[in-house]
Amino acid sequence: MTTPLLLGLIAGAILSGTSLLYATLGETIVERSGIVNLGLEGVLLIGASTGFAVTAATGNAWIGLGAAAIAGALANLLFGWLVVSRKANQPASGLALMFFGFGASALIGSRFIGAIIDGLPKWRPSWLADLRWVKSTTLFNYDLLTWVAIPVAIAAWWALFRTRWGLGVRAVGESPVAAYAAGRNPALLQYQALAIGGLLAGVAGAHLSVSLTNTWAEHMTAGRGFIVIALVIFAKWNPLRAIAGALLFGGAEALQLQIQARGSLISPFILEMSPYILTLLILLLWGGSRRLAAPAYLGRTAYAME
Amino acid sequence: MKHKLGIVITAVIVAVFLVVAPVDAQQTRLIIGAVYVGSINDFGYNASFHQALTQVAKDIPGVKLVEVENVPETGESERVMEGMIQQGAKLIFPTSFGYNDSARKVAKRHKDVSFAFAGDGATMRNFGVFFGQTQAAMYPMGVGAGKMTKTNKLGFVIGMPIGYALGNVNAFQLGARSVNPKVKTVVVVTGGWADKAKEAAAANALLDQGCDVVAMHVDSPATVIQTVEARGAMSIGFQSVDARALAPKGWITGIGFTWTPYFKQLANDVIAGRFRGEAVYKGLGQMVAIAPFGASVPADVQQAVNQAATKVAQGFNPFTGPLTDNRGSLVLPPGATVGSDQMGNMSWYVDGVVGKVR
Amino acid sequence: MSEATLPRLTVRYSAIGGAALAMFALILLVAGKDPLKAYIDTFHYTLANAYGFSELLVRMTPLLLAAVAVALPARLGLINVGGEGQLYMGAFAASAAAFAMPQAPAWILLPFVALAGFAGGALWAAVPGVLRAAHLVNETISTLLLNYVAPLVVSYFVFGPWRSTESSAYPQSSQFPEAALLPSYFNTRIHAGLFIAIVALILYWLLVEKTRWGIDMRAIGGNAEAAKRLGIPVSRWIVIALAAGGGFAGLAGMGEAMGIAGRLRQGLSPGYGFTGFLIAWLAGGRPLAILFMAFLFAVITSAGDTLQITQGVPYAVVNILLAMILFIVLARQSARRGAK
Repeated sequence: MTTPLLLGLIAGAILSGTSLLYATLGETIVERSGIVNLGLEGVLLIGASTGFAVTAATGNAWIGLGAAAIAGALANLLFGWLVVSRKANQPASGLALMFFGFGASALIGSRFIGAIIDGLPKWRPSWLADLRWVKSTTLFNYDLLTWVAIPVAIAAWWALFRTRWGLGVRAVGESPVAAYAAGRNPALLQYQALAIGGLLAGVAGAHLSVSLTNTWAEHMTAGRGFIVIALVIFAKWNPLRAIAGALLFGGAEALQLQIQARGSLISPFILEMSPYILTLLILLLWGGSRRLAAPAYLGRTAYAME
Repeated sequence: MKHKLGIVITAVIVAVFLVVAPVDAQQTRLIIGAVYVGSINDFGYNASFHQALTQVAKDIPGVKLVEVENVPETGESERVMEGMIQQGAKLIFPTSFGYNDSARKVAKRHKDVSFAFAGDGATMRNFGVFFGQTQAAMYPMGVGAGKMTKTNKLGFVIGMPIGYALGNVNAFQLGARSVNPKVKTVVVVTGGWADKAKEAAAANALLDQGCDVVAMHVDSPATVIQTVEARGAMSIGFQSVDARALAPKGWITGIGFTWTPYFKQLANDVIAGRFRGEAVYKGLGQMVAIAPFGASVPADVQQAVNQAATKVAQGFNPFTGPLTDNRGSLVLPPGATVGSDQMGNMSWYVDGVVGKVR
Repeated sequence: MSEATLPRLTVRYSAIGGAALAMFALILLVAGKDPLKAYIDTFHYTLANAYGFSELLVRMTPLLLAAVAVALPARLGLINVGGEGQLYMGAFAASAAAFAMPQAPAWILLPFVALAGFAGGALWAAVPGVLRAAHLVNETISTLLLNYVAPLVVSYFVFGPWRSTESSAYPQSSQFPEAALLPSYFNTRIHAGLFIAIVALILYWLLVEKTRWGIDMRAIGGNAEAAKRLGIPVSRWIVIALAAGGGFAGLAGMGEAMGIAGRLRQGLSPGYGFTGFLIAWLAGGRPLAILFMAFLFAVITSAGDTLQITQGVPYAVVNILLAMILFIVLARQSARRGAK
């Protein structure tokens, strides 16, 4: 019984893409407020190690997930103190946060390596489980995080584009001065965006450690934080496009493993490059018009073109 | 004014440093340094060395163990080994293949320090090489998998396509084919020894493509076994026999390393001053052991596996020609064999393996 | 080094270092380790020990080059976070050069290999340069993206066409011809790359401080529009500065391959490109400060080795100390500079 490549691919894309999507939503909200966090890799690691450590210590993956979210938010607030309150250079602060994440996650996780945990429970509706092709894949056999990933993305879109708060965040991202003049508190809004972004990044990290693998190992995110930074651009800072982006980028990883499992001859390294090259090409195609999609203030602080 | 104060403080600190020199405990007869590529609690490769060396330190009085985990397989490892030697280590275990170049350089600089390298290559007076012959031991594992599979598709996750890993895959397939002519083994390479998320994705990919038994050659079998267990499929363990605890339902059997007797001998040799670098490769029953069977394995399968294991322990070499590779060319003429000394150079998959070496 | 004198700089950096060390000590204490012993051990095994000191210089070599790779384009206000990828491409191109002429004598091969290393990094960085100069893609994001492509190019070659057939068929290239290896000195791992790095730093200093080009570059960094109106070829400068920076990072990769590893393999750099970015940034692009910061970072990372050997603290934990220093400096500098 061989599952068609496409089904395996979709199943793999959803598994790998869940974590990517949460992190992308978080970073999108942060970037909408005019801040780029290049240290996302470090925040994901802190989320993964905290989630695993607390799950191992308490025996409850939900508590671990909550702790990971809080840890992620705290890491982002530390970053916020630098770039919002102290107006520090964003790329440098981001990389500093990344190094902090390398160290902090190693310290938090070191005592729990090798612990056996029960990850987040998975649940598949029985009427779906009996479908012929579904049975032999992971399709629809998901934990809560995967089941609610798309609703969360819609909620993020709604919060950004349909609420007064989101209007404020985006206004700050376009022009803090104008937002201030309009009676908003730019610093407060940026801190709020960073806190929410950190929560989501913490959840994204924890999904790797307490659901996908049920293990913790140093640097287990292996560059996913940077994939997400590319993904945010790929999705044009839009939470709904991020859904498709996360599936596509997750699918790139799934594809190289699935086609290996079918005896393909394409080098896995060429496939692994594809998300980065794809993002670069898309940026290239947008060319100058990209500035219409990117928050304007982001263009001034981090992605300055002029 | 301010910086004069700084100079004074610096001088005081330097003076303190010079006085408080590191004091060695008098009781220590041998310090062993172990360099690991991953974590010692990985239920796998690194754990197997850690457990054996801990046992050695416990059993031989005066032996102290210095361990460093997560050491990259680059020039970094040279610094770590030098640091251990400064700590007084006289026996060093570089436990990963990638330490080869660095370990040899350090060994040439420190003729008074003995090295036991888990890999291959030339030996020197103070540089021995060793490894467990897992390849032949994978043959009975294949027998178990070949009998248990219902889909006739076995999966194998490997970190890097090095000769030893290819040998494991090949022996596994040969063993499986000896009891099940229709069986195939599908290989997925993750590209690293310890990328957990990718190992999980690789195991899922194999299961999605219809494999129902999965074996692995990565540092820690934990992620693959847990992923396979969660999806109700079966697994064959590697590196550590303790991995059975990770799969109460789907565990068939597995192989692990038993290094302790050999390491004890090495430690005693160094203490007695009679260490000579040698190439030591031992298989089933000596450096390699078979794990207990899982609860769901029927008696006839257990018997077949045990029979194959006995055959291997008595000297049967699965790599005996004629053998054709999976592209149809004859790689071993009739009667020719691949011995453990050439295992590192293996660069082909036997017929029935789905995968590509390079 | 105009307004700040050397003693004042020393005091300032010592204060920052002291504060970071104190905070890190607190973290070690909480983790149940002995910070004082950790610091004493580090001192013993690095600064007070010939081998340890030589290894500091070994570590500094790629960091210096990676820092210059960032500092040079930064003069124009360009943010090059792609040092890591440029380093890999430098090592890759240098390897290709070494394998292309295995028979050549050292006096031909060495310069050829070094040039190839520079060219590899320079070409890799020229891509973002051109995209930026053409107002198509911002260089921060393009250099960042290319970081993840370059190591995969190396992986492709060490797993595929260049894979060594010797021992274990481990995924690495075969050894470089003897003539391509950088000479090393004093029976240590200090290799000719260190001199290349110091020459690069001096060249950088001459360029930005002593030439008209340096003035042009600063003009672009100050106000690109005004510079253009003054007749400075801004677009050309953007490409040249990024490419030259990438070239220096490429030399760092060449040094790691030809001076340390002796062959091409994966995981050539443990993030030297990113560390170099932070060094350049902390040093504010000042050459002497780059030298000092690179030394400091080398000491800190050596502390990581000591910590794991003597106290069993994971090596990665030392990154916290690194981050502490960065956080303090980032918070201070920006306060002084004010909102910009």
